[in-house]
Amino acid sequence: MNELSASSRITYRAVMVRPGVTRRIRGLSDRALAWLFITPTIVLLLAINIFPLLWTIYLSFTNYRANRSNVPTIWLGADWYQSILTDPDIWAAMQVTAHFVIWTVVIETVLGFGLAYLIDKKFRGHGMWTTIILLPMMLSPAVVGNFWTFLYQPQIGLFNYVVAFFTGRAASSFQMLGDVTLSPWAIVIVDAWMWTPYVMLICLAGLRSIPDYIYEAAEVDRASKWRQFWSITLPMALPFIMLAVLFRGIENFKMFDMVNLLTGGGPGSTTEVASITLKRAAFESWRTGYSSAFAIILFVTVFGLANIYVKALNKVKSR
Amino acid sequence: MAEVEIVSVSKAFGKTQAVSGLSLTVGDGEFVALLGPTGAGKTTALRLIAGLEQLDSGSIRIDGRDMTAAAPADRDVAFVFQQYSLYPHLTVFENMAFALRAPTRRVAEADIRTKVQEVARLLHIETKLDNKATQLSGGQMQRVAIGRALVRSPSIYLMDEPLSSLDAKLRGELRLELKRIQVELGATILYVTHDQTEAMTMASRIGVIEGGRLMQIGTPREIYENPINAHVAARLGQPVINLLPAALFGSAPVGAATVGARTEHLTIARGSGDVSATVKRVEHLGDQSHLHLDLAGRPVVTLADPEAGFGAGDVVSLRLNKPLFFDANGWRVAA
Repeated sequence: MNELSASSRITYRAVMVRPGVTRRIRGLSDRALAWLFITPTIVLLLAINIFPLLWTIYLSFTNYRANRSNVPTIWLGADWYQSILTDPDIWAAMQVTAHFVIWTVVIETVLGFGLAYLIDKKFRGHGMWTTIILLPMMLSPAVVGNFWTFLYQPQIGLFNYVVAFFTGRAASSFQMLGDVTLSPWAIVIVDAWMWTPYVMLICLAGLRSIPDYIYEAAEVDRASKWRQFWSITLPMALPFIMLAVLFRGIENFKMFDMVNLLTGGGPGSTTEVASITLKRAAFESWRTGYSSAFAIILFVTVFGLANIYVKALNKVKSR
Repeated sequence: MAEVEIVSVSKAFGKTQAVSGLSLTVGDGEFVALLGPTGAGKTTALRLIAGLEQLDSGSIRIDGRDMTAAAPADRDVAFVFQQYSLYPHLTVFENMAFALRAPTRRVAEADIRTKVQEVARLLHIETKLDNKATQLSGGQMQRVAIGRALVRSPSIYLMDEPLSSLDAKLRGELRLELKRIQVELGATILYVTHDQTEAMTMASRIGVIEGGRLMQIGTPREIYENPINAHVAARLGQPVINLLPAALFGSAPVGAATVGARTEHLTIARGSGDVSATVKRVEHLGDQSHLHLDLAGRPVVTLADPEAGFGAGDVVSLRLNKPLFFDANGWRVAA
């Protein structure tokens, strides 16, 4: 008797709870549910991306200084923009950045595609080689910056030793990070070392996407390996190569961490890429309004260039 | 155009024997179809002839010259792939001109233009020449793929199920066109298919291939009327030949274990007789009906005139009319 009443109570409860839960779930339309899921993301994006961007735009028209927040803020109009665009130091930094971006992208693309082309030949152990080649990419830029500082060390550095071994010059006769002509190349080498694997990975995906039977058709059509490369491999992998160039270009335009650790912009300002100039203005001179204006200029530049580039990329892809 | 002769060719992939001891001669101007189920080794045979795979043993002669070890480019063959295999970033014209533009061929640009336009007209794609290869429909893509082979005058055209990815209507159209073009050009074609209709309608000879071996080769009529074994018999004919124990019927020759009865071998009449069956299901196809019968627990499928008005549950009598007989191992036994 007791048992029976217990079991009937359980049944009763189950019946009571069920409709309540169902009704609560039913009460939400699909649209409401969708909003529920994306609202946190939207709020987060607004808070950490959109608001700071708008705030930076506002600050770029003022004399605001982050270390003197009690000084009344004065509206300056486009004064900062005018002085930045006419400042020879800024143009020097832009030139350093351009040198860095162009050379790293060129070297990484050529080497990355070359490596991908070799790996794609599927020789023995190509899987292991892929993993080994990808290692630098997995390291933190801070770690890379630190240990390349050691590799570039004139007395004990491995890099200098290897160059000395092959050229016969004394290892301590040159300083990769201390020489005004060598240091711009020193940062290019490190970035190429670290990010060539990334370009290789994207190119490899492109090469793997070309079906074998296209090559077989070309083989039967008497196309030489050379002609197969120029008329099949390269055009079909081109969208992937362009994508890799886009990613690396944008990344390196914003390059800060690795260069800051290796040279800090020196010697003098020979490796002072735009983001280091920006950091100095913002957090060493505390010229918040000025650096905000510079940041906006950089942002517009990258955004504009990337947009033109994506248009070209889409054109290539739709061929 | 030339004669192609392959002698006891074998090829294994790891432990799988794809082709074993295949011998076949395709005469000049002949259309030979290799018919067989998926995995029978048809495509491998074709790829061996093209040089896209290296054979383990045997020899291949094209136009009297030994090509066993030659590179695909030197064999002077044209290959039409199942997946079209067009160069996606090139136009239709460039796709078709691709082979002619090989430096070793030294064809003048004006001649290339004339030739491509001529073939394009033949295939009814002359208005598509400036389109990108990827902007075409499946049927058009396959025409371009065939056209790319036709612009050349190779020793032999090797075609690997070129129509299998098209819909039934288009397949029927292209089948007719391909045959017309073959006759017009006097082309030598080795054609791989699993579709018996394609083999029956286009080929001058059919080679039935099974498990990497060539079972039988002959004209479509020979293969259909005189199959050497039950495998070959089951490859041709719609609906598929009914293989029944010979004991079910009275008069079988000595050694016959199985009776192979196609529609034309069965005479059906209403009411019970010496051999009776029950109608299980009738599929109306319009001009004819598929009759699914139950003969002592065994399914029998045959065609019937829709006018005959058979329905499920009807009892019919079956009489054999010059059927095929096979022994216990499936080999043909003379009637």
